[in-house]
Amino acid sequence: MADKTMSISVPCDKPIKVEKWKVKQGAFVSQGQILFLYNDSSGNSTGLKKFKAVRAGTIIAIKVKEGDIIEPGKSLADIEECRHPTVMKDMCAECGADLRADERKKQDVASVPMVHSVPELKVSEELALKLGREDADRLLKDRKLVLLVDLDQTLVHTTNDDISPNLKGVLHFYLRGPGSHGRWCHTRLRPKTQEFLESASKNYELHVCTFGARQYAHAVTELLDPEKKYFSHRILSRDECFDARTKSANLKALFPCGDNMVCIIDDREDVWRHAANLIQVRPYSFFQSTGDINAPPPLNDEKSKMISGKNGSLPTQLPTLEAEPDKQETPKDKSDRGIDSKENNSSAKETNENNLEVEKSTEPEPKWVETFDGQIEIEDADDYLIYLEDILKRIHLHFYDVYEKMGNNHIPDLKFIIPEVKSEVLAKSSLVFSGLVPTHQKLETSRAYLVARSLGAEVTQDLTERTTHLVAVRSGTAKVNASRRMGEAKMKVHVVTPEWLWACAERWERVDERLYPLQRGGQSLARRPPAHCSSPPPAPPVPAMRKRTPSGRFMDTINPLMSFSSDDIADMDREVEDIFNESDESSSDEEAKPPVDDDDDEENLSEDRLLALENTNISQERLQEKENSSDSDTDPDRPKKRPRPSTPPSDDDIPPDDDDSSWNLMGAALEREFLAQD
Amino acid sequence: MFYHISLEHEILLHPRYFGPQLLDTVKQKLYTEVEGTCTGKYGFVIAVTTIDSIGAGLIQPGQGFVVYPVKYKAIVFRPFKGEVLDAIVTQVNKVGMFAQIGPLSCFISHHSIPADMEFCPNVNPPCYKSKQEDNVIQEEDVIRLKIVGTRVDATGIFAIGTLMDDYLGLVTQ
Repeated sequence: MADKTMSISVPCDKPIKVEKWKVKQGAFVSQGQILFLYNDSSGNSTGLKKFKAVRAGTIIAIKVKEGDIIEPGKSLADIEECRHPTVMKDMCAECGADLRADERKKQDVASVPMVHSVPELKVSEELALKLGREDADRLLKDRKLVLLVDLDQTLVHTTNDDISPNLKGVLHFYLRGPGSHGRWCHTRLRPKTQEFLESASKNYELHVCTFGARQYAHAVTELLDPEKKYFSHRILSRDECFDARTKSANLKALFPCGDNMVCIIDDREDVWRHAANLIQVRPYSFFQSTGDINAPPPLNDEKSKMISGKNGSLPTQLPTLEAEPDKQETPKDKSDRGIDSKENNSSAKETNENNLEVEKSTEPEPKWVETFDGQIEIEDADDYLIYLEDILKRIHLHFYDVYEKMGNNHIPDLKFIIPEVKSEVLAKSSLVFSGLVPTHQKLETSRAYLVARSLGAEVTQDLTERTTHLVAVRSGTAKVNASRRMGEAKMKVHVVTPEWLWACAERWERVDERLYPLQRGGQSLARRPPAHCSSPPPAPPVPAMRKRTPSGRFMDTINPLMSFSSDDIADMDREVEDIFNESDESSSDEEAKPPVDDDDDEENLSEDRLLALENTNISQERLQEKENSSDSDTDPDRPKKRPRPSTPPSDDDIPPDDDDSSWNLMGAALEREFLAQD
Repeated sequence: MFYHISLEHEILLHPRYFGPQLLDTVKQKLYTEVEGTCTGKYGFVIAVTTIDSIGAGLIQPGQGFVVYPVKYKAIVFRPFKGEVLDAIVTQVNKVGMFAQIGPLSCFISHHSIPADMEFCPNVNPPCYKSKQEDNVIQEEDVIRLKIVGTRVDATGIFAIGTLMDDYLGLVTQ
């Protein structure tokens, strides 16, 4: 920075006497600030003169003492020019210099926006590091960590739809949009949010990190924290995000010393690029028809589908949702669960059974109870925040355990601590899956395997002596039977449904196995982990829905002519010509297909011949189907109206035999209709 | 600094307002269009005091709209470098603090806050506090600051301030 240093020399052409320095070495002086008082020996009695700094900067050296008389031309002090460490709207916040005017100065100016809500305010990397270190030191001193909190579907659920105004526990606010039209937002806080914030703020410094617009983020934070005691001004919204799709880009700016002490709670894993310090929470959904109104664009459609509850992963969560009232008792009331624990559990088991059966038939509807004062109270069974609170406490405890063990100012990294804490959940367990992983998929690549491994469990392909849990989708598989036999041989293996595994992954605790027993003859619906137990699948499963033609006949959806290439049809035409030429001499086992619209031809054929033809048609079609299923791009034998996924479905979304069986069904239906027509 | 100056403005009026209330409409439109705006030259227009003249309206050919040149006097607030002003603190953070001087936002960097004052993030609301704890600046407090720079945008003015001078800092009532 030699070029930025300048020296102060005597201001006039006569020797001066420095009377008093007004600044100290190392001090920062702004432009126009008085540096020293002097007396020029001109003799007139004006007294002391003030010397003001021409530019802002830092005094690096004072070369003369008070009382010295200095000849003109000699240097008095060195000033280092302002390096503009803090810049607000392209204007140095220290010296007030306009940095837009001077392009040259832009070279090494501040670039890190350190304050959540003011992206225009930037500081230099040097200063950012210093502030970051101060932050880290302060957090360590207070034994705190940083928690980034997502709003939508994590702590709140907001809808823009018209809803009944007298819902209890739903808060309404109006956001003024650009221009005159604003929008009403209706927000429901997740149950126990206040308690959660209160408890979390003891161990964590809370930051809001949301994809909502700034106005929305501030409005919701105001609802959550009217006294600003939890979040203060630490609100990062979409307007301040560097990247429209991920939030992780902002981490470096907010925490210049690294995100060692940052823990994240969010219902979306992808926006954080699957960071290791993320705790993925179960999405909170209160308004059935609305998803995350602020979801980033790429996964919007999937999100809304998931929430719509008709398909996808919501039904798979149901058992855990409904079983929670029972579950809630188990961890809490352990103390008073002495004698009657067995009773409790058996009853819990029964209710769980009932729930499982009920849920298969009904959609989850929140129970709406109208109270006497005209308010509609809605029973909300969501109690996830209780578990989340516990998870955060454990992480905090573990972090400071490790911190103290490491000693001398080594800061452990939460990116390692959090997976560690998670892997203690099912440590010393050994799982075997049955019917959970499609046969064509490797165990190691299945999501269930990854979930189980992240919880610290060992997963083996087959039952061994060490196996503790068998996670089975349906009873009656070889592994289930084997485990039952092992059970008789005094080797206790818990046979549980996949919901057990998902519940463990959701709560980060070893859920009581007795709550998720595998029913004899029952089949679990939850082969796929709920979205929050894993990354969202790249493509949503296609709803098994086929559009029908106005006539309603299945046959019409398939034009037989469409399923043959032009060569095939030409071949057939030729064959028909041959048949005509041979004049009824053709043998019945000859493979030929008359064009369907050719009625004369059909009349010529005998009844049994027709049937035979139908059969060959269908078998031919099936053959083609099999051929075409391999090259998925051009399959003309598929009905055109069938909705198809925009991206190929991921391997475990659809069971391997699903496609074949559905085609078989279609074939059968086609056959029936052909027969009925005749 | 506040000024009481003469200004001019053109009011574009839709033909539907042509009628006995026409001049009232012009005046009303002047208030809504001018008050609260900000120009780089004159600063914030705080209030229109008198309307001196409403000139002859000129009908726009082909449109039917009419343009009235209006001369008026208004009180404007124009911040200058070196000016000392009283402000209300709006946000305190580790980089510095934000303050509001009427319509004007101002940022004071940590560097421009006396070195003996330290940032205390743990108290609610966060504040800058001197070691003896006798001098605390937090949100909603009134401070006296000196402007060291202004940024004039199309829509507003933003200022950089400092507390590093005599008699600056917390204003005690």
